[in-house]
Amino acid sequence: MTPPPLLPRRMAGAFALGCAVLAVLPALDLSPYAHNQLTLSYVMIAGALAWNWMGGFVGQVSFGHAAMFGVGAFVAGRLMLDGLPAPLCWLAGGAVAGLFTLPVHPTLRLRGPYFSIATIGIGEVSRVVFTYWEGFTGGATGLSLPVTAVQKYQLYWWALALAAMVALASIVIRRSSFGLRLLAIKADVDAAADVGISAALYQDVMFALSGAVIGVSGGIFASYFVFIEPGDMFGFDRSIAFVLMAVIGGVGTSLGPALGAVVFVVLRTQLLASYPELHLGLYGVLVIVIILFQPLGITGLLGSLARALARRMQRRIFGRPRRTPPPAPGEA
Amino acid sequence: MALLAARGLTRRFGGLTALDRVDLTLGEGEILGVIGPNGAGKTTLFSLIGGSIQPSAGEILLDGRPVTGLAAHRRVRAGIVRTHQIVRPFANLTIFENVMVAAIHAHRRTTGHARDRVAEVLELVGLADRPERYPGALTLAGRKRLELARALSTGPRVLLLDEVVAGVNPAEALAFAQLIRRIRDERGVSVILTEHVMPAVMSLSDRIMVLEYGKRIAEGTPAEIVADPRVIAAYLGSEAGQGAAS
Amino acid sequence: MSRFVDLTLSTVLLTGLYATMAYGLGLIYGVLRVVNLAHGGVIMTGAYLGWILYVRLGIDPYLTIPIVGAICFGLGVAMYSGLVRWLPRGAAGGPASLLLLFGVWLVLRNVAYGLFTGNDQAILTSYSTRSVAVLGLHVPLTRLVVLGIGLAIAALLHLLLRRTLVGRAIRAVAQNADSCTLVGIDVNRIYMLTFGIGTALSGIAGVLLATVFPFNPNAGAPELLKSFVVVVLGGLGSVWGIALAALVLAAAETYAVLIMPSYLTAAVGFVLLVLVLVLRPGGFFGHRILA
Repeated sequence: MTPPPLLPRRMAGAFALGCAVLAVLPALDLSPYAHNQLTLSYVMIAGALAWNWMGGFVGQVSFGHAAMFGVGAFVAGRLMLDGLPAPLCWLAGGAVAGLFTLPVHPTLRLRGPYFSIATIGIGEVSRVVFTYWEGFTGGATGLSLPVTAVQKYQLYWWALALAAMVALASIVIRRSSFGLRLLAIKADVDAAADVGISAALYQDVMFALSGAVIGVSGGIFASYFVFIEPGDMFGFDRSIAFVLMAVIGGVGTSLGPALGAVVFVVLRTQLLASYPELHLGLYGVLVIVIILFQPLGITGLLGSLARALARRMQRRIFGRPRRTPPPAPGEA
Repeated sequence: MALLAARGLTRRFGGLTALDRVDLTLGEGEILGVIGPNGAGKTTLFSLIGGSIQPSAGEILLDGRPVTGLAAHRRVRAGIVRTHQIVRPFANLTIFENVMVAAIHAHRRTTGHARDRVAEVLELVGLADRPERYPGALTLAGRKRLELARALSTGPRVLLLDEVVAGVNPAEALAFAQLIRRIRDERGVSVILTEHVMPAVMSLSDRIMVLEYGKRIAEGTPAEIVADPRVIAAYLGSEAGQGAAS
Repeated sequence: MSRFVDLTLSTVLLTGLYATMAYGLGLIYGVLRVVNLAHGGVIMTGAYLGWILYVRLGIDPYLTIPIVGAICFGLGVAMYSGLVRWLPRGAAGGPASLLLLFGVWLVLRNVAYGLFTGNDQAILTSYSTRSVAVLGLHVPLTRLVVLGIGLAIAALLHLLLRRTLVGRAIRAVAQNADSCTLVGIDVNRIYMLTFGIGTALSGIAGVLLATVFPFNPNAGAPELLKSFVVVVLGGLGSVWGIALAALVLAAAETYAVLIMPSYLTAAVGFVLLVLVLVLRPGGFFGHRILA
C-alpha cells in the first residue's frame, strides 16, 4: 500500500503559484506601507508557524519564545555590526537560538501547565540577563544596525523565502510519520511510550527546531526594525504575540498560525493607530471566545463555513435526502 | 532458556510493599496467566515488566539479557509491549493512524511496509472496516481491540495483556480469547495475561501464577491451581481453603 | 554579622507575602487541577483595588483587605461560572484552560491600563516609611504588617480547610471529585467556591504587595512564576508546607544577593525550579509533574 505523498502535486502547485504571485507583487506598484506590512507579516508567519510546532504539534504551550527570538536578533545584529552579510547573520542567529534551547531542555520534561509556566520563567530570566549584558545587547539603549534603505526593501523577498520554507516544512511535518508521532505524544505521553515513542527525544528536537526558526525570524526582524533593544525583543509581550497569532489562526493546524500572523499584524497596526488602549484586551477577549467556541480559530471557522456551504450546494444540486420507506414486514 | 525471566522482583511505594520478591518465567510461545485478589500486585507486576516503573529490587531478563534499566519505550523496541486496563487510544488520531504510529516507530520500517502491516493487524483484530474513523466512534470492545492492534503492530515477542477482557460482554470475551490464542499460534507471540474473569484465564493459559499481597503463592497448570487450597483460601477466605483440603 | 541578621529578617518578612501569593494559585490547582494563569493579573487587580480604595476613600490599605478579598472572590466566581466551567471535560491542565485564563489576564491588564494608565503606582501611607526596631535593627513597618497578615491568613486557611464543613468538602473534591458526586456533594459549586477563594487570596496578596513594592498593569508574570515555584516546592498537601516553601524561596532570593548582582535575584526562583526538577524529578511531596 503506498502512503499518501508528503506533498500532493496539486497542493505543491498551488503553493508555488502563491509564492510566485507574492514574489512579483512589489513590481506591481505596491505602496511602501503595504510593502512593509507584508514584509513584517512574512517574518511573523515564520515565527508563528515555528511556535506552533511546539504549541500545536507537540502540545507544549510556550510563553517564552521571545527568548529565542531575541537571541537570534541580537546575534544577527552583532554579526552585522561586525560587517558580515545579513543572510549569514540571520542563519547564525538561528543556529545560536536553537542551541539556546539545549540548556533549558530539562524543562521539557515537565507536563502541560508546568512547562508553560517554566517558559514564562525562561522569558523573564532571558530578558533580565540580556538587558544587563551590555556587551552583547547594548543594554537598555540597544543596538542600531547598519541596514541601508535598499537592503530593507529587499527584506521582502528574504522574509517571503523564510515564510515559504517554514510553511512548507509545517505541511510536510504534519503529513509525515514524524508528525504522527508528535500527535501521539500530544495526545498521551505515557501511551506513546508504550508504543515505543520517546517523548523526550522528540520534544528536544522540536524545541530546538522551533527555537532555531524563531531565531532566524528574529534576525530578519532586527534588520527590518534597524534598531533593537532587549527590553522589547525579550519582552513578555513578544512571547505573547506568538501565542496569540497561533491561537487566532488555529493551534495545531498546519498553516492556521500563518493566517493568525497576518490578522495579528494587520489588526495591530490598525488598533495601535485608533485604539491603542484596547490592544491587548481585544486579543484577550478573542482568545477566550476562540477557546470556548472555536478552538481551531480562524481555520476552524473557515472549515465550518466550508462544510456548511458544501452541504448547501449538495442540497441544491441533489435535492433534499429522501427518506427510504421502512421495509414491509417479512422483508429484510 | 526462558524467553522472559524475572527474579526477585520487588516494588515498594513508600511504606507499602506492592510486590515482594516475585519470580516469573515465560517460555517461548507460552501463555501465562497471572491471577490474584484485588491489590495482589498484578498491575504493578505488569508496570514493572512493561517498564513504566522501576523495581525497588530484582531484575528482568529477556533472552537472558537484562532489560531492567530500560525505559518503557526502549522495552517496546526490545520486544516487550503491554496493553492497559483502562484503554488509552490516541483520541486525535484515526484508528489506522493509531496502529500506524506504533508500527512505524517500533521497527523503523518504510512507510509503505508499515501500512501493509497495519492493514494486516487490523484485519486480524477485526477493525479493518472503516479505519478512518476515530476511536471515539468505537465501543469499549472496539477500543480494546484497537489497543491490542496497536500493541501487536510493534511486532512484540512478549505481550502483556492487562485485563483485556474486563468490561466486555461474554460473546466478546470469547472472541477475544480466540483472538489471543490465534496471536500465539499464528505469530508465536508469548503472552502474559491477567484477568478477573476466571473462565477466560483458565481456558487460555498454559500455566498460571497466583499472587496475593504481592507474593507469589502458587504456580502450575490451570487444573492444579483450581485444586490448590492456598489459592482457594486467597480468593474465598481461609475456611473454604480448609474445606477443600479436607 | 549584622548584614546576615538583616538578610534573615528580610527573608522572614518576604515569606508572608510569597506564601499568601502561593495559596491562591495552589488552592485552585489542588482542587480543580487548573493552573490559574490569570493569577498574576488578579494580584495586579487586587493591588489596584487596594490602592484605589485608599486614594479615593481614604481607607487604610490593610483595612481594605476584606473588601478587596470580597471583590476578588466575586471576580473568581464570575471567572469560573462564566468561563472555566465551560471548558470541555478533561481539559483541566491542558492548553485550553491555560490559554483561556491567559486571555482573562490580558483583559484584566487592559482594563487596568485603561483606567489607571501604565505608570507605576504604589500605596504610600503616612506610615509607609516608618520603621520599627526589631532585634536591634530597623524593620520597615509595612513588611512587618505584611508578615503578620500573611500568618493570619495561613492560620485562617488552615482552619477553613480542616475545621469547616465547606473546607472538608473542598478537600474531598480535591481527592476524588467523582466519588463526591456520589455522596451528594455539588462538585460544581465547590469548584466555584474554591476558585473564588483562590482569587480572593490572590487579590489580598496584591494589596499586600502594593504596600511594599510599586506596581503597574504589566505586573504579574514574576509573581505568577514565584507562586508557582512555591507551590511546586511545597506541594499541595498542607498550608504549612507552602509556608515552608515560601520561606525557602524568600531565603534563596535574599541570600543570593551575597553572591550575585541584585538584578539577577529574579532569576533565583526559576533556577530553584530547574534544580528541583533535575534533582528530584518526582517533585516534592508526591507531585507527579514530569513527563
